[in-house]
Formats: sequence, structure tokens, C-alpha cells
Amino acid sequence: MMSRLALNGFVALVAAFLVLPILAIVPAAFSAQSFIRLPPETWSLRWWGAFFHDPSWRLTLFTSLKVATLTTLFAVIAGTAAALGIARSGPRGRALLTGLFLGPVVTPAIVLAVALYSMARATGLVGTATALVIAHTMLALPFVVLNVGVSLDGLDRRLLLAAAGLGAGSLHVFRTVTLPLIAPGVVGGAVFAFVTSFDEVVLSIFLAGPTVKTLPVRIWEEIRLEYTPVVAVGATVMLVLALSAAGAHRLLTRKAR
Amino acid sequence: MSKVRFAGISKAFGAVNALLPTDLDIPQGEFLTLLGPSGSGKTTLLNICAGYLPPSAGRLVVGGRDVTALPPRLRNMGMVFQNFALFPHLSVARNVAYGLEVRRLSRDEIARRVTDVLRMTRLDGYGDRAIRELSGGQQQRVALARAMVIQPDILLMDEPLGALDRQLRKEVQFEIRRLHAARPRTTIYVTHDQEEALVMSDRIAVMRAGRIVQIGSGADLYERPVDTFVARFLGESNLLAGTVGTIADGRASLAIAGLAEPLEGRAADGLRAGGPAAALLRPEMVRAHAGGFEARVAERVYLGELVAVRLTLASGHELWSRRLASEWSGRDVVEVGWDAGAISILPDASYES
Repeated sequence: MMSRLALNGFVALVAAFLVLPILAIVPAAFSAQSFIRLPPETWSLRWWGAFFHDPSWRLTLFTSLKVATLTTLFAVIAGTAAALGIARSGPRGRALLTGLFLGPVVTPAIVLAVALYSMARATGLVGTATALVIAHTMLALPFVVLNVGVSLDGLDRRLLLAAAGLGAGSLHVFRTVTLPLIAPGVVGGAVFAFVTSFDEVVLSIFLAGPTVKTLPVRIWEEIRLEYTPVVAVGATVMLVLALSAAGAHRLLTRKAR
Repeated sequence: MSKVRFAGISKAFGAVNALLPTDLDIPQGEFLTLLGPSGSGKTTLLNICAGYLPPSAGRLVVGGRDVTALPPRLRNMGMVFQNFALFPHLSVARNVAYGLEVRRLSRDEIARRVTDVLRMTRLDGYGDRAIRELSGGQQQRVALARAMVIQPDILLMDEPLGALDRQLRKEVQFEIRRLHAARPRTTIYVTHDQEEALVMSDRIAVMRAGRIVQIGSGADLYERPVDTFVARFLGESNLLAGTVGTIADGRASLAIAGLAEPLEGRAADGLRAGGPAAALLRPEMVRAHAGGFEARVAERVYLGELVAVRLTLASGHELWSRRLASEWSGRDVVEVGWDAGAISILPDASYES
């Protein structure tokens, strides 16, 4: 009984450790003061007004959404194709290709950032959405490859043989059998890709420019200039979007099952 | 529905010969069973027929058309897989309709044929069900319906009853038999179960180590097996090892250590005078016979309508007898015998490479 109590207490502590920073930033966004203090002494929506009325904040939010959407699109297409290729290759090729595609996850972000920055400079892409989308797609791709790969591992190969035996060409088999059955993995990969891009800050700081700036980059810049609750609003907006993505994922995959 | 010809078809995986060069003709509408233990090459032969496995050599001709190089989707064959391989995300009706939709039939035609085949497989009313809601036996019937509805040139079945329990297996055997009788369709059926083979087949091909050892009707195989392997694989058998004496006019004698007189019986092909062989005596042929061999009853096994009795002869040889329970009741020392035609002298398959 005692040990059970102790265990519950420990779990509660860990949960608090994970959740507290979130609980700290959200109230700060509803402060009436001009500086962040916890808890706020008076409450208001004035910083939400400031955030959404300021065209530059709105633009960064829009840029973030645009880059994340394009990243998701490219990462899902390329990642699904890659996972299909990996699943078809022999055991040795499989290990090699998997390692290759997971490379961006294990490479330190700053190394990637320096490398991509020099390439972006050479091609004149610094400060463009194109550069951000390319960089984010690199980071997001492994998550799609992994998620789709897991789904493909669970796919009974005989279903594909059965479909082919019934007269279906490989494209038809993919559309009517493979894709519906790996859909949970594709959706999961898409959510990860979206969140990865939306959340990315290191590469984005290097590659963003004065007109093309994502929300995390703007928050980072803002914090260094003036530490107002509008930063907390930006952070809360990100939090809500990330949670929505996770929620949408749960909903979609449950339906698929 | 077509005549099928395997001409010199073989398959090697690296240095392993899964299937030695095989010739096999299947007349139109025949139900042929490939019977053999695992690793005998029966599934390899089936997969080559379906196009899932390219043969290392040889040609496959279906209805006069060489299909050796055709991919599975162009072969028009219906395959029933061991674990059914039903599409889990599609309803029963959509599973069955899959091959028809691929063929771009009209919606009405598809609906009509799906309804037809569901009625034939006693699945009417199940069209809208999800696959996971069905029992194993129902899933088996959906797999069969899906394969039959495309009116395949050949129906292929790979141990389709393996996943079912014993009672259900029996029912489905008769179901398949009934469906085949109603619309005879060239069928190749793979199993390691002799009972399935005997119940359903027009002909049975017994396979071993990558080749067909014997092909014929169930009666052919049971009554005239070519060697001890086939004798063991189909039905119960008493096999007494010995040395071949004389061979003449389709009959041979076999000297068996411990027996005063050699046994005489029908001679199978491939016997050599002085060589090793075995005498086959089916248990149902061993009966009580006054003046026969004296034997002791060592064991009785009650099998319902029959009783199996293990008899020890004075020579030390053991014979199993399966007769009506009344025949061996009561006594422990008996005299046993058999009809003159009961014995076959067979080459011993264990001496082959």
C-alpha cells in the first residue's frame, strides 16, 4: 500500500516535470502587464490582440503554416516511396538504406544547419521559403520513412499476391490494398512531419531572412529584444497547433482501425 | 477451365532443388491433389502455376497457351491461400468483387455474380460484413468465393483447410467436393492430409523430395502403391522388410527373416531379385484365421466402430489389425491370416537417394 502510494507520487512528480513548463507559459499569455511574471497579477487578452493585429506576427504564423504544409507534402510522398523501396530491398540493402534515411535524425542540428547554410548561400536560396522547405523536408523525411516502414512490416505480403492473382496491376494493388492498409503509418508520418517543421528552430534561424521567417524564429528574436507576453502568445499558438495535430492523428488512426 | 500441361518444370533455390524436372498433364475439369510432406515441392509447383515463382526451367501450358512468362495478373487463375489472405479493409462483398472490378465489368454484372457466388458458398446475407467479424470457416468460404467468381482457368488451393479445426475441415471438404461436382473446374489442391486428398480428388499426385512419386486415383495409390513411401503416406500399413526371391508374371516372393515360408504378393515395379524390399499388408486385411500364424494380442486400441490390435507373431514381427471390434474380442492368443491378394511387394523407399 505504501509502495503503491510512493509510486503514484513519483509518477505525479515526473508528469509535473514534463507539464509544468507548458502550464507556466500558457497563463503568461493572458497577462495584462507588459512583462512576463508568474502568475500574472491581472488578466487580459491584450497580448492576443497585439499578436493577431500585428501583420509581422501574422506573416510569420502564415509562413510557418505554409512551410510546414509543403514540408509535410514532400516528406510524405518521398518518405512513403522510400519506405516502399526499403521494404522491397534485401536484408543488407535494407539496413544500409534505413541508416541512410535516418541520418538527419542523428546528425547534430547545428552541423546540418552549417552545411545547409553554405549550400543555400552558394545557390542564393538564403532567406527563401524554398530553403526552409528543403531543410525541413530533410528533417521530416526520416519520421515518415519510419512510420510507413512500421506499417509496411505489418502488411501481409500475401494480400499483394492475392490482389495480383485476381488480375490487379501493381499500381492498382498499391491504390486499393497497400495504401489503405498503411494509411495509419502515412498519417502518423504526416503529423510528425508537420510538427517537425512547425517546431524547427535551429536550421530556420540560419536559413530565414527578413521577409521569410517562421514563428519559432520570430519568438527567438523577440525574446532577445523585449521579453513581453506576446512571446507567450506565440508559444501558446504553437502549443495548440501541435496538440491539434496529435489529436487529429489519434482520431484518424482510430477510424482506420 | 482448361487442360494444363507442366513440361519439364523445375525449380532450384541456389544449390537446393525444390522441384526436379516435372511433367504433369491435367485434363480439363479435373480435381488434382498434390499430396506430400513439407519440403516435397508441392507448394513450389503450385506457386509456379500461379506465377508467383518463376520456374528454373520448363514450360507451363494452359489451354494451349504458353503462360510460363506471364505475370500472375494475366494468368486468370484463382488462388485460395492457406490463411485466406482476405483484404481486411474491405467487406465480404468487396473482397469477392475485387477481381471483377479489376476486369472492369459493369456494376450490375458484378453485383449479379457476387450475389450468385455468395449464395453458392452459403454466404448470402454476409456481403456487408467486415472480414474480422467472420468465423474461420466463413473466411475460408469468402476466399473460395473470391477465387471462383472470376471464373478462373484453374483454381489453385494451398492447404486451404489448415487453419480450421477438425470438424470444420470435414464439412468444408464435402463443401468443396459439392462445388466441384456442380461446376467442374480444373483444380490443383495442395495438402499433406491424406483424408482431404481422398475425399475430394479425381487424381492424387504423391510428392517426395521435389518429385512426383506416383499419380493416380485414390484407389490406385492405396491398393497399388509404387513403394513404401506412398504406402506409408496413404493409409495405415504393415511393412515387413525382407529380400526379394523370385519375380515372375507381376508377382514376387519375399524372404523374411524368422518366417519359414516366403511371403508372396503383387510385385511393384523396380524390384530386383536378391535386393531389399518390403511386404505391404494393410491392417484391415489382417483377420482371425484358423490355421494361420499364431499370434499374441499385445495391445488393443478402441477406435469406435473399429478396434486396432497389435499382434506379435512367434517370429517377433508385429502386425496391426483394424477390424470390427467383435473380431478380436476376448482372446489373447489368436491365429491370424489374410487373403492371397492382400500382399504387395514394394521397393523400400528408404533405400533411395
